[in-house]
Order: sequence, then structure tokens, then C-alpha cells
Amino acid sequence: MQKMESDSFSRYHPLLNFFYFGVVLLFTMFNQHPVFLGISYAGAVFYAALLNGWRRTLRQSLLLTLPGLLVVALLNPMFNHYGVTMLYYVESSGNWITLEALVYGVVLGAVMFVVIQWFSCYNQVMTTDKFVYLFGRIIPALSLVLSMALRFVPRFLNQLGVIRNGQKAMGRDVSERRLLDRIKYGLQMLSILVTWSLENAIETSDSMRSRGYGLRGRTAFSVYRFTKRDCCLGTLMAGLFAVFTAGCASGAAYAVYDPRIVLAGFTVQGSTAPVSVTPWLAGATYLCFGIFCFLPVMLELYESRKLKQSRKKTGTDIGMTYRQIYEELEQEGKIL
Amino acid sequence: MNIVEIHDFCFAHPDCSSKVLDQVNMEIQEGTLNVICGRSGCGKSTLLRHFKSVLMPHGVSSGTVLFKGEKLAEVDHRTQSQEIGFVMQNPDNQIVTDKVWHELAFGLESLGYDNETIRLRVAEMASYFGIHQWFYKGVEELSGGQKQLLNLAAIMAMHPSLLILDEPTSQLDPIAASDFLETVKKINRDIGTTVIITEHRLQDIIPYADKVFVLDKGTVFLEGRPSEIGQKLREQKHGMFLSMPVPMQIYGETDSSAACPLTVSEGRQWLAEYFHTKGISRELQQKANDRFLAEKTAQQKEQQPSSGREPAIEMKDVWFRYEKDSPDVVRDLSLQVGKGEFYALVGGNGTGKSTTLSLLSRVRQPYRGRIRLEGRDIRTYKDRELYCGCLGVMPQNPQSIFLKKTVLEDLYSVIGGKKEKLSPEYQVHMKKEKAIEGIVSLTRLEGLLDRHPYDLSGGEQQRLALAKVLLLRPRILLMDEPTKGMDAEYKEEIGRILNKLKQHGLTIFMISHDVEFVAEYADRVGLFFEGNVVTSQNTREFFAGNNFYTTAANRMARQLFPDAVTGKDVITCLRNSN
Amino acid sequence: MLTEQQLDTFMEEFWEDRHPEHAADTKEEQPEEPEEYRLPTDGLIIRQMTKEGRVSRRTWFALGVMLLVVPLLLYLSVRVFHGRKYLVCSLIVIVAAMLPFFMMFEGRKPKAREIMVIAVLAAIGVAGRAAFFMVPSFKPVAAIVILSGISFGGEAGFLVGCLIMMLSNMFMGQGPWTPWQMFAFGMIGFLAGILFQKGILKARKRDLCIYGFLSVFLIYGGIMNPASALMSYGQVTWASLLAFYISGAPVDLVHAISTVIFLWFLSRPMLEKLERIKKKYGLVEP
Repeated sequence: MQKMESDSFSRYHPLLNFFYFGVVLLFTMFNQHPVFLGISYAGAVFYAALLNGWRRTLRQSLLLTLPGLLVVALLNPMFNHYGVTMLYYVESSGNWITLEALVYGVVLGAVMFVVIQWFSCYNQVMTTDKFVYLFGRIIPALSLVLSMALRFVPRFLNQLGVIRNGQKAMGRDVSERRLLDRIKYGLQMLSILVTWSLENAIETSDSMRSRGYGLRGRTAFSVYRFTKRDCCLGTLMAGLFAVFTAGCASGAAYAVYDPRIVLAGFTVQGSTAPVSVTPWLAGATYLCFGIFCFLPVMLELYESRKLKQSRKKTGTDIGMTYRQIYEELEQEGKIL
Repeated sequence: MNIVEIHDFCFAHPDCSSKVLDQVNMEIQEGTLNVICGRSGCGKSTLLRHFKSVLMPHGVSSGTVLFKGEKLAEVDHRTQSQEIGFVMQNPDNQIVTDKVWHELAFGLESLGYDNETIRLRVAEMASYFGIHQWFYKGVEELSGGQKQLLNLAAIMAMHPSLLILDEPTSQLDPIAASDFLETVKKINRDIGTTVIITEHRLQDIIPYADKVFVLDKGTVFLEGRPSEIGQKLREQKHGMFLSMPVPMQIYGETDSSAACPLTVSEGRQWLAEYFHTKGISRELQQKANDRFLAEKTAQQKEQQPSSGREPAIEMKDVWFRYEKDSPDVVRDLSLQVGKGEFYALVGGNGTGKSTTLSLLSRVRQPYRGRIRLEGRDIRTYKDRELYCGCLGVMPQNPQSIFLKKTVLEDLYSVIGGKKEKLSPEYQVHMKKEKAIEGIVSLTRLEGLLDRHPYDLSGGEQQRLALAKVLLLRPRILLMDEPTKGMDAEYKEEIGRILNKLKQHGLTIFMISHDVEFVAEYADRVGLFFEGNVVTSQNTREFFAGNNFYTTAANRMARQLFPDAVTGKDVITCLRNSN
Repeated sequence: MLTEQQLDTFMEEFWEDRHPEHAADTKEEQPEEPEEYRLPTDGLIIRQMTKEGRVSRRTWFALGVMLLVVPLLLYLSVRVFHGRKYLVCSLIVIVAAMLPFFMMFEGRKPKAREIMVIAVLAAIGVAGRAAFFMVPSFKPVAAIVILSGISFGGEAGFLVGCLIMMLSNMFMGQGPWTPWQMFAFGMIGFLAGILFQKGILKARKRDLCIYGFLSVFLIYGGIMNPASALMSYGQVTWASLLAFYISGAPVDLVHAISTVIFLWFLSRPMLEKLERIKKKYGLVEP
């Protein structure tokens, strides 16, 4: 579960991580403008590729998620019959398949698709540690429950293995041929686990109380510190966020599919969006959102370049010293 | 100054008429290391739990416990949490959170320290205990010894003035255990924290104790410096000797007037001195040893009349690894255990002993090589055949096979319930009731049948697990560290049961860290190293031949009686030479 | 206690299966059912610990707040977004619906042992799924949630349900479905607790199984089907809802039936174990 935090963005403060995903996910779900979705998708795919590698990302999204969502998207016009552009008449139900419903179905499918892509990044970046930390301040008791449960799950799974071996050695294995036996032995294993865990947990709660749990004024310690670096990134993110929120609020991402397709910034079937956003603001909105979506990828590139540079520098330094040593040795040799 | 004082303390469990603690009087001086010892069930743990209010068991108590001159009941929760640290037996159960750093900070969080202070304290502790390498790890990745060290560090982070340890090493392997005790000593020495400890590995801690309390039947029976305890126990001829370090045991059987030896090296010196004063010559020693050896060999011959027994377990060129590209855990292992033999496999941690056991119990399968049980390939057995009536496997943790809510029901559950009919698990024409009676009698579980399995003590739980396994009538018994965390008495009881089983022709295969137990009961011993059995010899020859991997008694007396392996052997030899 | 000699003969007979002559009558039928399996005549596994009808005021308060907040948010979302943006709004609503319970739990400073029990039950729920890896789509989660609700009250049931889904998604990957699942299982546990404390749901095998079936089929299915409709269409129409209910029915049915099986076999041992823990460690003051 706990991966190495491989990319630079996940090494920033958890608050920033969480804020980032919150904003990206909300905006993706909120906006149904195709350009917006496209940018968001590109950002998500690049980031996912950075985290999981290209092959896994593409395989996952193209082979597993896409087909399902395509089906779902194409089914939309079967249920919905709004819209003005009739495409095909279904005789059995007496309804028209409309272009608007079809497009809207695709857009909705795409929203889901992008959201799932973002979540695949989220699962990598927001480790349980960060989650527990973030909520440790707001809901301390529950976050402690969570932290304890996170400790128990691997422990119980391990114990389950021990129990299974023990039961197997008494001739009761869950890989038994009969389904009924499997269920019976599975239930027995669960039963043993329940007793074991409950009885042993009492000592854990003793240990908690013995270390002063329940005293007034409990604090929440964290290993995360809000450094200057986090501060810079936070300001940048907030700035970008402000710009594209303002843009969206004034309609830069306006999109309606019922009864007609109306998109901000496009002329579809002769109609334009009834929004008063200036092209400047619209452009800035898309640019800022784009930067925002690609922020982790850019950070990673920037930091790896810096690292390489600094390595080169130190590398040459060491080379120099070696040469100096050699020269000195040579001189000494000459003297000798 | 006394940090803890106990006056006339009595305690009884709620529905129990007899007192667990009876008129206990104790004074613990600040900055000292105190060991409390006593037979199991003498009330050690109950006493320790009364040193901290939140851990007090339910029940009726009388008398006073003073902490720094104040009544403990009146010391508030905050002060107690901070000042009194308590480490319990099971390393796993005490860990609350999922990360090492969080665990270290847990107590400080409760006390309400701010982030900066906690960071400092945690850093300090991590460096002192050498935890910084695994600071960010999840606790499930740690070994047992590391976990217990973490528990200790988490408590020390709160800067307690009194540290209480209740059998802290009972779940650890010997090396981790002595490391842990070393740390405890270091804390006492460097920081001056007062330590109260109960331990069953007394040889590692008693020599360093400032004061030893011997508890018997709920009352302090003896107290004093360790060497005084040895002398006093000898005067009283008390059974407590059994659990004392071996040098003390041997000393107790002589009439020496010198100070009681505590460690092996002191024991050696004392023994040499003793021989000198007694005027026992070298030849006499030699004779005693020879006589002893002859007796033992004769006994052995008598016990095992047929030397060329047919093998019950046979492993031939067995190889095993967990993953396709991981290193081999078991390498080219060949091994033979004869029918009716008690074979013990010893060796360090992580050398593959447990894996070998899982191969023998067919939980895992080797990728090369052959395992035969009673002459038949293990793969050809059906599950029922193998596990019901042929192979019995005792898991290391007995709790992992407890199913029902009373001991009796749990026993019946093994043989398919109380209904008198033959089932795949139960193929004997004996009434189940009678079978259970017999097994209960064999494993000495009488009087415990209505208890909940989890309310039994460690040794009793082990015997219940053994009873469950035996109800399936195994002819080969595999055991994984059956004496882990047990004190001398429980070990003796298990040893007696195993001897009985052996007499009735059961083959016993055991892996163990407990050298003393192996020396006492096993017929043959194999040393396991790097996935292979390095040597496999008769017990006596094995231990007499080893320099390091041998019993404390042998290390102490090897120059005089090279073939005496256990404390009892040394004592016999001493008698012989007198 | 057998003497040494008796023990020897016993061991010989037992291991060798050598039965002496007088043991010929072992096959004698034993008509009466062994006591171990007998339940009290009314089939109640555990009696009500507290007086009938006493659900803590806190729990009602949480429910009240939830019932107040949710329609308000729904109304607001309709007013502000004119019935669009279903996905976002519904997510917000569902999170808001869970908040009162969390806040109540925080507000009363739970004791170490309560925290422990909830954490252990949640972890068992997650780990329990692994115990049945051999039997596909047969998971004990709902049964554990229901039994926790009955044994420790509606609030604990809700939290255990929520946490199980939260945790298993932490291991298997979060997604927009997480809040819905959390809420659905939370409600199952919550209702079980409330109904039991009100005396409507009795701790009887049959009753529990019926509740288990209905709750999984109606509550879990009832919440998750519209949720998946929402997630894939971003809006709910009657037609799509119906389609999702129909297509989801078989899965829900298997889920419900497996819950029934679990409750049938697990309810008695589990409830007894939980009762023992409660008593042994003083979680309930008599």
C-alpha cells in the first residue's frame, strides 16, 4: 500500500496535495466543457504516467475503463430523448435518438473517465499517512481510529494466514472441494480471528490508557512541516485557482447540451453561448487551468533538472579534487 | 529515597475467595534495578499492575501503595502517565498506531505537548535507541525485537521516573531478548530510571539487579541482593531454585560457603574454587564424568533398544524458495527422524527452520526433492489421511486454533462435535467422552474445562492446543517453539507430556530456541544454518561438542565434566565425585 | 484424573484403535441434541442490555441534524444549479449526511476502549473479505456491520460501516464511489442498532437474517444503484434508474443472500464474543 513517494509533488505538504486533488476533481466534475475536460484529461494521464509508468497507465485506461464508459455513454441516448437534432427513429419504443443526447452521453462518460484517471493519481499520492495527518487536526478521534485500523488490517491479514495454516494442518482447509465446506471453514477462520483480535485488542487499549490517552488537550504530532517551498507552491496554486475560478464564474466554461449544444467560445450549429466573458479572461482561464493540471509534471521535470545540474557540479568538483590529488602524487613521485 | 512503597497489600479477584496477593510489603529505592521473580501464578503480574492505576485489575484490594510518598490512588492520571512507564509481554499488542514515528509520539500527544517539543523528544529517543533507520516505516514491517524496543522507546519518550516491565522478552528470540534486556540495563545505568522487572530469562538480568524479590503464594518470601537470595534459597530448600539461573541452581545443591555465583564466568571460578577447597583431584573428576557418561549411555540404550529404526520423517535433497526469483530458503536439505524419536532443530532466527516445518506439514511444497512420512511420499497423502491420524502440527501461537468459548467445547469441536458417530476426523471406536477424558488427563487440563480458552495462562493455552492436536491421533507431532514464553515449571510439564508421548511411539519433531529444554528432553539435535542442517547428533554429544551453542550448565562446567549438559547432570557429577 | 497406568492403557487404546470388549455398545444412538447447540426457547441470542427503547439522545440528535441538513442542501443545490451538476451536489450531500455522526463521535471524547472496539471491528471487516477469497462475491462485511450495530449501538454501527468501506478503498483504490459506499454501509449498521435498541429487531437468528437480506437489498442496493447511475450519467432519469436497478439486482441478490448465510452462522458466536468483551472489560456498566 505504501509506495515510495517517487515524484516531487507528493513530497510537498499534504495540505497542498489534498487541495490540488480537491480542486482538480471538483472542477472536472463540475465542468462539462470539452476543452476543459481535454486539458484535465491530458494532465491526469501525464501525471499518472509519471507515477505508474506509461504502459500501466495506458493499459489501465484504454483497456479497462474506456470500453465500459463508452458503452455507458452510448446508452445515454436510449434513455434520453431531448434535443433538436434527430438522428434516428427507434420504432419499437417510438423515440428519436438525438445528437444532443449522444454528445451529452459522451461528455458524461468522459467526465467519469477523467475523474477515474485523477483518482488513480490520488491513490498514489495521498498515502494513508497524509490522510491521517490531514484529518488528525479536524477529527482527532476518528483519525486515531483510522490509524489504528490501518495498523490492524495488515496484522489481521497476517494472523489470518497463521490461522489458515493452523486449520489446514487440522484437515480443514478453505480450498476444500465442496463449496459448503469452504464456507464452513471460512466461517471458522473468521470466528477464530474475531476472538483473537478482540481479546488481544484489550491489551492495546490498556497500552493506550497507560500512555495517557484520554487526558485533556491531546495534540496531534506530524512529521510534515510547512516549509518555504510549500509556501511558494501554495501561493502559485492559489493564484492559478483564483484566475480560473473567476473565469469559470463568468462563463468561460459554459456548456449546455439540452435542448441545443451551446459551448462557450465555439459556434455550434449557429448558436453561441450567452456569456459575457472577454477573450482575454477566457484565454487566461484555460491557460491557468492547463498550468494547474500539469503542475505536478512540471515540478517533477524542474526538480529532476535541478538535481542533474547540481550533480554535474559536484561531480566536476570531485573530479577536480581527484586530479589535484593525482597531480600532487605525481609531484611527490618526481621528488622521490 | 523510596520511589514506591507497598504496605500490607492484599488483593483478590472478584468472584474468588482466595487472595492472589496477601500482605505484600515492598520498598523500591529510586534509581535501582529490581527483579521480581516467582513461579507462574504467584501473583507477579497482578502485583505489577497495581503500580499503575489505569492498569489495576478489577477486584478487592486493601493496603496502600505509595508513589513518591503519595498514595497512588491520589496521583492524577496525567502524572501517572508521565512518570510510570509500563511495558507488557506481547510486543504486538502494545503498538497502537500504524507508523513508527506516530507510535513514538503517541504518549506525548496525549500529554498535550506541542509539535516542536514532540519533534525534539522523538528525535532524541530515535537516536538513543537506534530507531532512526526505521523511523518512517510501518510497524508491521518490524521484527518482534524491534517492536518491543519501539514500545520501550515510546514509553521512555515520556521521561518516566519508574519503568515497569512485565516479562518483556517472553515473545522474543534469545538474541533479541538479551539485546532488549541490555537496553533496559543501559537505561537504568545511564539515565537512572528506576526499573521493576519480572522475567523468566533470569540469567540475563539477575546478575545486574540491585535487589531481587521472590514471590511465593502471593507474598514476598525473600528479598535481598542477588547473591544473598541464592544463599537464602539454599537454606530454605525452596522449589524456586528451578527457575533461577543455572549457576545458582548448582550452587544450591552444594555445601559451599563461598558467595553464590550468578553468571557463567562466576560459576566457573566458583566451581574451580570449590574443587580446590574440597580437595577433589583431577582424576576424581574424570572418574565422576566417566561414571556419569556410562550411566547415561546405558539409560539411553535401554530406552531405545532398536538403533536401526525405520524412519518416520525422511527429507531428501529438498529445496524451497518463496518466490520465483527470491533466494532459496531451504537448500539441499536431507534429514531423517526415526520412529519414536524426539528430534529437535535448533538455530538462529530466519535460517529457515519454520519454513522447514511448513514443508513437513505440507503447508508449502518444495520445488525440488522428496519428503516421505512413514515411508510414503507426502504428496500422495490425501488431506484427511495426512492430518487426521498421521501428522499433528502444533502452531507457534496456540491462540490461532482456539474456536469455542469453553475448553471442553473447543476440544469437542476437533472431533466433530459431541454426537457419538464416526466422522472423518474421528475414526476410533472409543466413546468421545472417554477419549476427551484421557487426553485431558494426559495434558493436565483438569479443572479448566469450563474456562474460556483466552482466560488460561500461557502454559495452559499451550497444553490446550496440544490436546486439540492430539485428539486427531497423530503418529508424528510437529511443534514450533512449544516453550516460548514459558517459565521453568510449565516447561517441565510439557516435557513430561512429550516424554509420555514418546514412550507410546510418537515421533516428535520440534524446532526451538530453548537450548536448555532441548538438552533436557530431546534425543537428537540438529543445528540449522542457511537452509540446511549442519550437524545432527545425539543430544549429549551435540552439546558437549559445541562451545557457544550449548547450555549454560555445560559452558560453566565443561572443563570439569565435559559431558554434563544440564544443571541436573552437573549436580549428578558433583555427587559422583564426592 | 487418570492414574499413570490408566493413562497408559488409554493411550494405547486411543492411538491403536484397540477397543476392549465392553466397548461394543459405543454405537448406541444419542437421541438428545447436545447442549452446545441449544438456544433458549425464544431463540434470543442476547438479551437487551439496556432498557427497551433507550437510544441515546445523541444518536437521535445526529439523525435529526442529518435529516435537516440533507434536504436543505438538496434544496440549495436545486436553487443554485437548477438541477444540473448532479454529481458534485450529490457528493456534497452525501458527505454532509455523514458529518453529524462523525462530529457527534468527536464531540463526546470517546474512551480508549470504544475507539479500540470500533477500530478492531472495522479492521476485521476489511480482513474478513480476505478470509473468503476462495468463494467469489461472498463477503462478510454487511454481516459484521449489522452485528456491530446490534452489539454496540447505532452510532458504532454507523462508524464501523463507514470505516470498513473507507479502509477497503484505501487498499483497493479510492474513487467517487467511496462516499456512497460509506454512507450505505453506515446506514445499515445505524438502522440495525436503532431497531435493536427500540426492540423492533430482536437478536434472533431469523430476524437478523431477514433484516440482513432487506437491508442489503434495499439500503445498499437502493443507494448504490442510483449512485452508479449518477456516476455514469451525471443525472438520474426514471428510465436509467430502472435499468440500473434491474441490472444491479442479481449482484445485490447474491450479496444479500451471502449476508443471510453469514448472519445465520455468525450471529450467535459473534454476538456472544462481543458480549463477553463488553462484560469482561467493562464497556457497559450494568
